[in-house]
Amino acid sequence: MNERKIQRMNYFRQSPAQRIIGLGSRLLTGYVLVSLGILLAAGGGSWDINNHLLNKPETFFAPPHAVLYSGVALAVAGAIMLFSASRRTESKMIWPIKLAMAGVVVLVVAGPVDFMWHSAYGLDGLLSPPHFVLVSGMIASSIGSLAGMTYHNSMAFREFRLPPALIVLGILPVWLAASGMVDMFSLPFSHTGYFNFDPHPAVGVAVATLAFPLLISVLMCTSSVLAGRRFGILTATGAAFMATSLLTSMVPNDALVPTIPFYVANIIPFAAADALLSFSRSKLSQYAAGAIMGLTFFMLYYPLITYTYNKVTTNITVWPSLIAPTYFAMIGTVVPLVAAPAVAMGILGVIASNKLVVKNKAL
Amino acid sequence: MFFYGKLLRAMVLVAVVAAALAGYFALSVYILPHSYQASLVPRKAAPIVTQVSLPPRVTLGQSFAIFVNATNDGDEADVQTVSIGFPNFTGTDSIKVASHNFRQTPMLIIKGKQVGSEYVGAEKPVDAQYAIVEAMSRPWASGNSYSITLQVTPETEGRFVAFVKSIALPHNGNQAHWPQEGVLDQQKELVKVYTVDVAKA
Repeated sequence: MNERKIQRMNYFRQSPAQRIIGLGSRLLTGYVLVSLGILLAAGGGSWDINNHLLNKPETFFAPPHAVLYSGVALAVAGAIMLFSASRRTESKMIWPIKLAMAGVVVLVVAGPVDFMWHSAYGLDGLLSPPHFVLVSGMIASSIGSLAGMTYHNSMAFREFRLPPALIVLGILPVWLAASGMVDMFSLPFSHTGYFNFDPHPAVGVAVATLAFPLLISVLMCTSSVLAGRRFGILTATGAAFMATSLLTSMVPNDALVPTIPFYVANIIPFAAADALLSFSRSKLSQYAAGAIMGLTFFMLYYPLITYTYNKVTTNITVWPSLIAPTYFAMIGTVVPLVAAPAVAMGILGVIASNKLVVKNKAL
Repeated sequence: MFFYGKLLRAMVLVAVVAAALAGYFALSVYILPHSYQASLVPRKAAPIVTQVSLPPRVTLGQSFAIFVNATNDGDEADVQTVSIGFPNFTGTDSIKVASHNFRQTPMLIIKGKQVGSEYVGAEKPVDAQYAIVEAMSRPWASGNSYSITLQVTPETEGRFVAFVKSIALPHNGNQAHWPQEGVLDQQKELVKVYTVDVAKA
């Protein structure tokens, strides 16, 4: 009788893989919520920058802040889900979950600090201590979430790749949050009545020229690796970034709407790099793809990048209605000047992505 | 045969990618920028102060109201300001903002604070020599009107002066400021002068 009972228990006992798959749905929901939350928060942040340019909001209670903190709430729900799901496993909590949760905790702490900062100093700049903490939390939690999705997928299905939707959902928040960090140290939006955190114009340009191509290349190459080098995922991730940028930075500003076709053309280099990575396995193709992705940064980060480079070119006041004319007046001069470092950083991005993702399986 | 197939595939890939990139860079760096430079017409805002109300005379110690209403007769302005200067005051203790419907909170500027000049805003800052109340809407849509009422208490008897102007930014022509003629103020910008006689109590 006792033996039969034990046999029945064994019958229902799950294999490690089954357990991971079973647990995976809860963990996956947690990761998806964290990534979605950060996506919303980063999108809200981008909208907030644009709102400051167009409307000069005076209080903490602005619509972009509502979107941003709704995203934080979603990320908190995801972190709680990750915590409860990970406690059910017998093994130790893995680092992606720890990173995602730590990032969310930092985000939650940054909210009231940001409110206090607004209360004390009124209108804040782009770079402020609470904003820095907020974006750091966004980067940490989005990386943790992407790494977690990859880890659990590889454990459950023994393959180092993700479904297309999860790649886009995992990469996009990392990209937006990291872009926000680069923006903080390159855009001249941090001079307020109380503090001047604006970067030196030359430093701002150097940061943008080096960091943006590296970021694009690392993340796009990673998306291609996670897709098993299948054509289309890199292009889709690039398109998702462009769509977010269009919605948060261009559509709210009527003066930029006629220039949307220029921005949409950026899909071409993504498709070209995607083709190189998908249809050829040679190192040369990978470097060429990195170089292409690096080179697009000045076009991809339109319209806000106008403010960074204007500081060292004409240094005129860039009014929201004059962003496009100012940008198009400088593009012919700037692109040839930044081409070499952008190509170099793009190639470096491919090497970094290969080392991190392919060799060390860091994700 | 296999080698030639691979080589042909690589050549086609390189040719397609090179052609796509050549088209992209030609389009993004040269063709579209030149096309936009020619087709993007700057907006022309046209500020007009439609009403200024203040009493002709008051008694010293009495406060009085200044009402200013302005509109934008042109295209949307990124920023449009209405500025009321008080050459009789260096501080703003005797000025109160009684009401306004501007999108942003009006600023009270005291002597010594930096203000923009020559219609280019912060590009040419100067130190204020007297008190100013600056109200603005950002943006200021075409046809919209905003008004402000100030409660002012003159500190001395005699002629009390108020300078009124409205400026649209970016300032891209004479239509972008009001008045079109008048007196140049401390910011080297045209103002219309309004006076109130302050009599002894």
